[in-house]
Amino acid sequence: MSKTWSTGLIAFIVSIVVLAGCSSGGKEGTGGASDSGGGADPVQELVYASAKDINDMNPHLYPGSMPAQGIVYESLVENTKDGIRPLLAESWDISEDGTVYTFHLRKDVTFHDGEPFNAEAVKLNIEAVLRNAEKHTWIKLSAKIKEVTAAGEHTVELKLTEPYYPALVEMSMTRPFVFISPKDFIGGETKDGVSGYHGTGPYKLAEHKTEQYAVFEANEHYWGGAPKIRKITSKVLPAGETTYLALQKGEVNFVFTDDRGADSIDVEAMNQLASSGKYQVVRSEPMNTKMIVANSSRADSPVSETAVREAIWHAVDRETISKSIFSGTETAAETLFSSNVNYADVKLEHRSYDLDAARKLLEDAGWSLESGEVRTKAGSPLSMKLYYDVNSSSQKTQAELIQSTVKKIGMQLELIGEESSSIANRRSTGDYDLLFNQTWGLAYDPQSTIAAFASETSYYHTTSGIARAEELYRKIDEVMVSRDEASRQALYADILTIVHEEAVFIPLTNGSVTVVAPAGLQGIAFKQTQFELPFERMYFE
Amino acid sequence: MGGYIVRRSLLSIPLLLVISFLTFALSHLSPLDPAEAVLQAQGVPRITEELIAATKAELGMDRPFLVRYADWLVSSLKLDFGSSYVTGKPVWSLLGPAFANTLKLTLISVVAIIVMSIALGVLCALREGKWTDKSVRGVSFLLTAMPSYWLAALLIWYFSVKLDWLPTSGMDSYLSYVLPVIVLTINYAGIYFRVVRSSMLSQLNEDYVLYGRACGLPERNITMRLLRNSMQVAVSVFGMAIPILLGSTVVVENVFAWPGLGTLTVNAILGRDFPIIQAYVLILAAAFVLFNTVSDVINAALNPKLRKEL
Repeated sequence: MSKTWSTGLIAFIVSIVVLAGCSSGGKEGTGGASDSGGGADPVQELVYASAKDINDMNPHLYPGSMPAQGIVYESLVENTKDGIRPLLAESWDISEDGTVYTFHLRKDVTFHDGEPFNAEAVKLNIEAVLRNAEKHTWIKLSAKIKEVTAAGEHTVELKLTEPYYPALVEMSMTRPFVFISPKDFIGGETKDGVSGYHGTGPYKLAEHKTEQYAVFEANEHYWGGAPKIRKITSKVLPAGETTYLALQKGEVNFVFTDDRGADSIDVEAMNQLASSGKYQVVRSEPMNTKMIVANSSRADSPVSETAVREAIWHAVDRETISKSIFSGTETAAETLFSSNVNYADVKLEHRSYDLDAARKLLEDAGWSLESGEVRTKAGSPLSMKLYYDVNSSSQKTQAELIQSTVKKIGMQLELIGEESSSIANRRSTGDYDLLFNQTWGLAYDPQSTIAAFASETSYYHTTSGIARAEELYRKIDEVMVSRDEASRQALYADILTIVHEEAVFIPLTNGSVTVVAPAGLQGIAFKQTQFELPFERMYFE
Repeated sequence: MGGYIVRRSLLSIPLLLVISFLTFALSHLSPLDPAEAVLQAQGVPRITEELIAATKAELGMDRPFLVRYADWLVSSLKLDFGSSYVTGKPVWSLLGPAFANTLKLTLISVVAIIVMSIALGVLCALREGKWTDKSVRGVSFLLTAMPSYWLAALLIWYFSVKLDWLPTSGMDSYLSYVLPVIVLTINYAGIYFRVVRSSMLSQLNEDYVLYGRACGLPERNITMRLLRNSMQVAVSVFGMAIPILLGSTVVVENVFAWPGLGTLTVNAILGRDFPIIQAYVLILAAAFVLFNTVSDVINAALNPKLRKEL
């Protein structure tokens, strides 16, 4: 009797195993990224893991994945290490008074659907973006364009209301001033959606299965020559553990730092993959600064005091963070922007890791250690909350380290891990003491990060509590319209000095973009932005 | 019997109404301005007061709460759940495929869970206190206690990477079902088989078993009778397994990159995408009510005494 049951049970288990075993011969590859172990016929495709779906690829709105948009759409000019370079515009002239930009377009460009890329297409695209200006206020240029005219088949004139020095930089960004075939517009607009995703870039969107994968195929007619990597697949893999295992198996063969600056797998996992010989790990130059943002406007919290913020600054052991947590892959950051960022080479007072200095600052500010381990002032304890992104493998470890060092100076930090969107909510509502954040990256720094100092939804709560807030905001307004280099430099120096003295942005490390790629992949390079990669330059030997 | 089904179904209507109103009310209690949350979910880098006001007007958020609820109720009765605030796509076009994917996973898992639970439950009951019983209970205790994401990672490592038998993740072929189903089965069968076992055991001491044995009935017949009588408790438990699983596959979906309800709703909640949240809660609540009703009806069919109670 009982024998029947056990036989049934065994049969059930065996059938599952057999079912699984039957198919081991036929490799059910997802993108066909077979392992590079064979070596006979190098694959010409990449499958990258991404925590999120590519989402809506409309380049004039913001939900889409930037790495994906970056290979499908292009801008008129490109921001490179050596400054602004031609892309869809071969050359340009700027009028004496700085208000008229004349772009001479490339003549050999077509959209993926075969439509010609010409002055008319540029005009239609820019005008469509401007008709939705309230969504693009972060990019100041959107409020300063008076008129776009097609001065010839391949000549476009951009008239501004006033001179604006970052105009070309903002024209080079991944969105919104990039170009989609006018045939994809719906009713002459792009703001309520588009009917297709035809750009001019090196890759075309070939297939998209929501929350599963998206396939991009090489654009044979790309003006810069058809890319060598024939196919790129973006595969949705929300969990880091699975990404690591999928890399080992070869179902995906490429990962890179995502747009929140987080890596889906940690340094140790990357090193393991590299030591297997199947993968290589490539890191960019420093791209951004990872930091702790302090809410100076939170009057009921100790964090509103400059001395407390300075003490935290002194209590962060950046060398240990760099060496132990990042295994040297990120370097210690002493200022908000590293000196290779434009206009950021400013002399600022150095605040080293110095617990005695931190103690003295607190003592002088009236925070005294009477009993117990936590300092008090007028009965309230020196206690704050630090929010970190639960999906970042390194933030929690850093938070724990900082928590343990500030404890030595009599400060209590409560650590709270939340989803990145929840942290963004806190930043915009001001409901935080301290939180982890990062600057926007080389292409956007310093102008975009600094413009965000005054923005309600970004760093307004961070900066509005400081004594010189009014002066800071006035200077930010001035610098954006400044016309000569010297005064611009002086204004940026003032701005950076104010936020440094107030210690509202406490730097931790300089972050870079990390790529894990098949060992045989050549030509791995980076862009100035930390969100896109130039896949079209990569190839297998 | 027909009357019972009708009465039982009518009861669920006020329940669904209350649930829908509560979700609507609760989701509006959040401290963050919903229009702002929507704009954040759309990735708009800088959100101004004017933009928030314009978005509110566009999405109809500036109207009174009760008006909005009434509107929503009327259109959802016509099965029109509106459009997502964040992407502008119809809710059904987003929720439909995700729901179908999760349902497929759930149904297959529930079948596996029921088969395993009954098999193990009966085996353990018949071998009560013996080595088989103890070891099955011990192992299942251990497996159920394992966090599902950990168990999942372990299985992926062994079956997908090491043996190279199965895909690590995704939903590409029938093979993709094997690992997620195994994880869910281990998680739930380990609990449910105890229900079967204990109700079997309580039946074992009944007089009819002793009488049957005394009469020399074949042991197989007695076991089948035992199983039928102990199913009453199990049916209610299994009946609820489908909706419970529907609402709790989030972790497994995350690990296996399953394009189901989990990812969609978590994002919807973070982005305050009310039309999706509302539709999701309503569907799940309806599933709970439906399966509860179905299991009551099955029990009523098994036990005529229960029919009179309503």
